[in-house]
Amino acid sequence: MAEDYKGSRILLVEDEETLAVGLEYNLTEEGYLVEWAKNGREAIDFFKSGRFDLIILDIMLPYVNGFEIAEMVRKSDPQIPILMLTAKTESSDKVKGLEKGADDYLTKPFHLQELLLRVNGMLKRKSWYKSSSEKQPVFKFGDNEINFETLNCRHGEEEIRLTPQEAMLLKYLVERNGKIVSRKELLENVWHLNPDIETRTVDIFIVRLRKYFESDPSNPVYFKSIRGAGYMFEEKQ
Amino acid sequence: MRGKHSLFYHILIFVIAQLVWLLLLGIWIYWYVSNYIVFEKVGEEVSPQLVYDVQNALPFILGLILLIGLSFTTSLIFRHLNVQLRITELYDNFIGNVTHELKSPLSSIQLYLETLKQRDVPQEKRKEFIDMMMKDADRLQSLINSILEISAQEKKKLLQDYRVHKAEVVVRELIEESCEKFRVEKENYRIISDAACEIVASKDALKVVFDNLVDNAVKYSTKQAKIVVSLICNSKKVTIIFSDLGIGVAAKEQKKIFNKFYRIYNKEIPNVKGTGLGLYRVKEIIKAHDGKITVLSEGEGKGTTFKLELPAYSAMSKRQLKKFLQTENLRGV
Repeated sequence: MAEDYKGSRILLVEDEETLAVGLEYNLTEEGYLVEWAKNGREAIDFFKSGRFDLIILDIMLPYVNGFEIAEMVRKSDPQIPILMLTAKTESSDKVKGLEKGADDYLTKPFHLQELLLRVNGMLKRKSWYKSSSEKQPVFKFGDNEINFETLNCRHGEEEIRLTPQEAMLLKYLVERNGKIVSRKELLENVWHLNPDIETRTVDIFIVRLRKYFESDPSNPVYFKSIRGAGYMFEEKQ
Repeated sequence: MRGKHSLFYHILIFVIAQLVWLLLLGIWIYWYVSNYIVFEKVGEEVSPQLVYDVQNALPFILGLILLIGLSFTTSLIFRHLNVQLRITELYDNFIGNVTHELKSPLSSIQLYLETLKQRDVPQEKRKEFIDMMMKDADRLQSLINSILEISAQEKKKLLQDYRVHKAEVVVRELIEESCEKFRVEKENYRIISDAACEIVASKDALKVVFDNLVDNAVKYSTKQAKIVVSLICNSKKVTIIFSDLGIGVAAKEQKKIFNKFYRIYNKEIPNVKGTGLGLYRVKEIIKAHDGKITVLSEGEGKGTTFKLELPAYSAMSKRQLKKFLQTENLRGV
């Protein structure tokens, strides 16, 4: 399953020993190289001392919580995918996690197969994005300028830094300029998820893109909702 | 956040209610005074010899009492509402904590079962996984017990088996068991005892007490937990002093930590897991033993000392002997 991404380095941040041992075993069996951090402080030390391709992050951690870690990681590495794995199921926690820079969110208890698929999907997206953004690193629309390599953007005078997931969604929409894209399609192709699981995730990300790039987010010009169909990015040249 | 808003709305409603009462009181006085003058004038014209004073003062006073009574009742309702609000908030926290505590071992068990089902796991790993699952099952069991044992019936069951114990023997045995359970190394705990004395106690219940104290010492220490337990006997009581070098308890929180669902927050150690029931259970158990528990801490970062006082067996009254051992005879046990 993880054929193409064998050898990818994963930082597993989980304070529950029994869960971490099982996760480490399964990820290693898939061909990934896993480092296990038992608490928030260790996670930061590991992150600073090594290069990782993906982080699996719990929220309720001793010393430094998962939200703070995600925020810190995002400041120094905008591209690394972060999967939050937590027992917190409230939608406010999920929104907070995604806002702090997580790209995906899985609640405990979870199915092993689903976790492995998500990890594989995130690594796949990372690699698709890398090759795709090399072709057209900078994109401009209206008074917005997006650098898909550094994830640094500009809206008028304002500087913004996108998370990898935001950038991937934006890239997907931009490549389909003027075409309607359904939530299902976005979930399948940007998140690589089963669309029956989470459709709200897409909405949360679209709201964030509007907040960054629309002058009036409540009356969007570029990121339009198409009732009953999905979303459409439209930039009239 | 929601709690703060609710409190604000309740205060606002309370203030508005008080203003309405004051307004009513004003209208009442105004109505009374203006009508009194009219009645007096009419009365004087119709029948000058009528006297109104006593009869007219009565409804005025009754009206005042009624309004003051209503105002007082509003204050009471407001007070109860606030208490209710605080309980709801604590209960919400409790549900959140318990859900988290239940889900973690459950997801781990699920992970191992799925792994064993989907993969060809070598024999030695299989054994390791089964041990991990058993550990999680134990955790689930002790969590469920701690929730269930709050009910009076369960508490009764736990506190049924009172026996006379040598204080030092039972305390040493239970502390050693708890320290092993919560992985406190032998060099990190010490038990000091100066005298032989006897206590009447339920060993199972005392185990819950020491499990909780040791677990807290471990959870609320930034480094390796260090524990010192001293046993002091006198003719009337046995005092067990349980000290750790953990983060301590701020003075304002010292009374609250024995409350149901109450949990302390310390920025040094955020996200400590638990249900907020541990010390509440400890207090209830010690109380059921006719004992007392207090907490001492010089403040945050300076360690915590719990002082447990239990009546000495030799000094127990006939009533206590009957209650615990179903006998009034000191030597008959």
